[in-house]
Amino acid sequence: MTSYYKSKHDRKKLRSLAAILPFVIAVLAITVVSGCRKERSHVRPGVLTVAQEQQSSWVRNFHPFLPMGVARWGTSAGIYEPLMIFNRMAGEYVPWLATAYEWQGGAEALIFTIRQGVRWSDGTPFSASDVVYTFNLLHEKPALDTGGLWDYLASVELDEEDRVVLTFSRPYSPGLMSLAQLPIVPAHIWRKLDDPVTFTNPNPVATGPFTEVLSFGGQVYELGRNPYYWKDGYPKIEALRFPAFPTNEQVTLALINGELDWAGSFVPAIDRIFVARDPEHHGYWFPAVAGSVYLYPSQWVEEFRDVRVRKALSLALDRAMINRIAMYNYTLLPEPTGLSEGYAKWRHPGIKPGDGWVHHDVAAAEKLLDEAGYRRSGKSGMRTGRNGKPLAFEISVIAGWSDWVRACQVIARNLREIGIDARVKAYDFTGWFEKVQRGEFELSIGWADDGPTPYRVFRGIMATETVKPFGDTSYVNWQRFGNKEADELLARFEGTVDFQKQREIALRLQEIFVEEAPAIPIFLNPSWGQYNTRRFVGWPNAANPYVRLSPNHPPEPLMIMTRLEPAPGREGETK
Amino acid sequence: MNRSIEYLLRRLGFYTLAAWIAVTLNFLIPRLMPGDPAQIMFARFKGEMSPESIGALRETFGISDAPLWGQYFTYLKHLLRGDMGISVSNFPEPVINVIASGLLWSIFLAGSALVISFFIGTSLGALAAWRRGGFLDSVTPPLLALLGAFPYFWMAMLTLFVFGFGLGWFPLWHAYPEGTSPGFNLPFLFGALYHATLPAATMVIASLGGWMLAMRNTMVGILGSDYITYARARGLPPRQVLIRYAARNALLPNITGFGMALGFVLGGALLTEIIFSYPGQGYLLLQAVRAQDYPLMQGLFLTITLAVLGANWLVDIATLILDPRTRR
Repeated sequence: MTSYYKSKHDRKKLRSLAAILPFVIAVLAITVVSGCRKERSHVRPGVLTVAQEQQSSWVRNFHPFLPMGVARWGTSAGIYEPLMIFNRMAGEYVPWLATAYEWQGGAEALIFTIRQGVRWSDGTPFSASDVVYTFNLLHEKPALDTGGLWDYLASVELDEEDRVVLTFSRPYSPGLMSLAQLPIVPAHIWRKLDDPVTFTNPNPVATGPFTEVLSFGGQVYELGRNPYYWKDGYPKIEALRFPAFPTNEQVTLALINGELDWAGSFVPAIDRIFVARDPEHHGYWFPAVAGSVYLYPSQWVEEFRDVRVRKALSLALDRAMINRIAMYNYTLLPEPTGLSEGYAKWRHPGIKPGDGWVHHDVAAAEKLLDEAGYRRSGKSGMRTGRNGKPLAFEISVIAGWSDWVRACQVIARNLREIGIDARVKAYDFTGWFEKVQRGEFELSIGWADDGPTPYRVFRGIMATETVKPFGDTSYVNWQRFGNKEADELLARFEGTVDFQKQREIALRLQEIFVEEAPAIPIFLNPSWGQYNTRRFVGWPNAANPYVRLSPNHPPEPLMIMTRLEPAPGREGETK
Repeated sequence: MNRSIEYLLRRLGFYTLAAWIAVTLNFLIPRLMPGDPAQIMFARFKGEMSPESIGALRETFGISDAPLWGQYFTYLKHLLRGDMGISVSNFPEPVINVIASGLLWSIFLAGSALVISFFIGTSLGALAAWRRGGFLDSVTPPLLALLGAFPYFWMAMLTLFVFGFGLGWFPLWHAYPEGTSPGFNLPFLFGALYHATLPAATMVIASLGGWMLAMRNTMVGILGSDYITYARARGLPPRQVLIRYAARNALLPNITGFGMALGFVLGGALLTEIIFSYPGQGYLLLQAVRAQDYPLMQGLFLTITLAVLGANWLVDIATLILDPRTRR
């Protein structure tokens, strides 16, 4: 009896294995076959497909003053237009609804000359009084003033030549970008609204190239051409189409499949999985101009008040390895001043790569720590602090931000090599954000405040004005580092509009940064951008860097939309 | 019969109490999390948004520093009116509208997958137990258990890759074809079915084994009981013994499981929705948590809670009908 049961049991096992095998073989065969398949797209010719936001379904909202992600991306990239666009690649302002700007009396007033012959998409002429209305609307409704413009504005009015005069309550030259890039709304429409704050603006009237909502569904929406667009002959695109994708993976799949013309997402091993699929049409460009990522040593920790320790931490880091392991070699190593490629014309000519402490030099790091009095001791060879305990620090990072987590793991390893016991601790985003804002951390990776000039970067890293007591919430200067000379330089920067003077100040700020090491640059943030030339050509890239390719930084995409053309052989299709 | 009604009313009372507790927890838990929506929104920009804007955002979203008690009563008052507030991550859209955008799709996808899986699974389980040791009994359970044991994420990705991307038999994303408009028209209805096939298939594959094994195991026990032997000995047709006497009794535990699962249908299927870019409750919930969108979170939890409680009450009724003992 027993033997009978046993053999039956074995047979069962065999049979179930036999049942699984064909399935496994089928899957393998299909995977191999899947290499060869053709393009299948049901998109009308002349329609450009973009993936920028990650949502599972669309909510119809084209409110121009709400942050990205709440209002649809097209609102500030296609529908509404600003006075000027700050082009980060060129580092200059491109005239848009304004043809020129002019400062008056230092940085006390700013005057915009408004473009003539522009019409709203309902046919009504656009004028300087629309601009004045828009600025004053933000004053009346502070909830809409997300850029904090009225912190330094005193009044906005027209002069006798129909120019828009913005008078400041204090000299403040860094305000230019936020003022120039404010989306302008039509006074004849917005004046009639009961509550402009909760208005979802389902059918926008605007000056941009794509103002007509052709269709709006939960999964896809389309924006058609503005019949009155002011730039002659443009746009040469019939419509913009936005399919909803919830995560990076679906965007990657659509890119590989050739269904997207333009995207701004992170794609791992992009040369192999995206470009190699169709090298003739698929392209990407990740210029490292979107600011830098820093390691912040908090002044909360006694050891980090010693500049030698801060410099030693930096010298211990193998940034080439961080770039390889955390960033797929997509980015560049930071300069000694930490300023990204976007600040090329501001960089200090006297500070060369390899100067200072933003490079890998373990011997120098060890020497600095020895001088600072933290010597290696005991069997473990780890360094000890003043209190006789080993030097041990926690590196805070956001759980789930995988590139940052990988970077921190390399950093921890590098620090252990110089005898500092560093451990990575991943926090949920909100927990991390509260902790760093209160300054009560040891080491933390983080972004830096960013802007068109180095002003914001340095203000956020070393202005005494931004230093708050530990435990209080501070949006910038988490590590609580203040330098009196920097304060005075930053105040002078606010008060001048002369580029040469601003640059001189910025040079001195960079010298202070190199002397003081208030924050440790790790890598430069790339601007993610992918394109497909099968349907449209004229994309910016390294060879033709007229603006950033990435759609993630409105209003810059307006410059791309009004320049793209149908691919050769496809012109006839757009009619 | 009076007793059954009394029993049902007692259960209803219990569910009402449970609903109140759930509504209260629903209010409290999100508020115990650190941070607020304005900070989260700011953080998403990694430094590209000016820090001064946090204040303006708080004002825009109407983030309140009022004491919890006050907030709680306003919350209850609004809830009774069916007003769940305004979603912060989709400002200024009311929560009801945001939920409505995903609710029907969730019911359609997860609901049909559940019903299909339940019927196929329990039928297979009943048949497998009836022919013990037969082909169905020896091959299907291990195979289905194996399929169910694959990490769902991986299995769904593979299915999408092979049948959607590789072979191109099924669409890669979304719930209905572009160019059709939702409503009562054939292209839309067929399109929606076509789009739901692949995601629903992965959900059925992942859950089939559970239903089948549960049914088979109960069936095996019941087939061994005296009344079945008696029924057979009396010469009742095998089909009648199988369906009327064995399966009907064996179904009870599975019906309870079905009721529970039915309630969770409204929670959506997070992974399925993400992988197949399918609109639904699951992704909305994830988004709400990420953005600390309290009103949306509360609205979603509330629909899920009410659905689970409602489904449980339906199960009580079904058990009452299927099992005469509960009527006594």
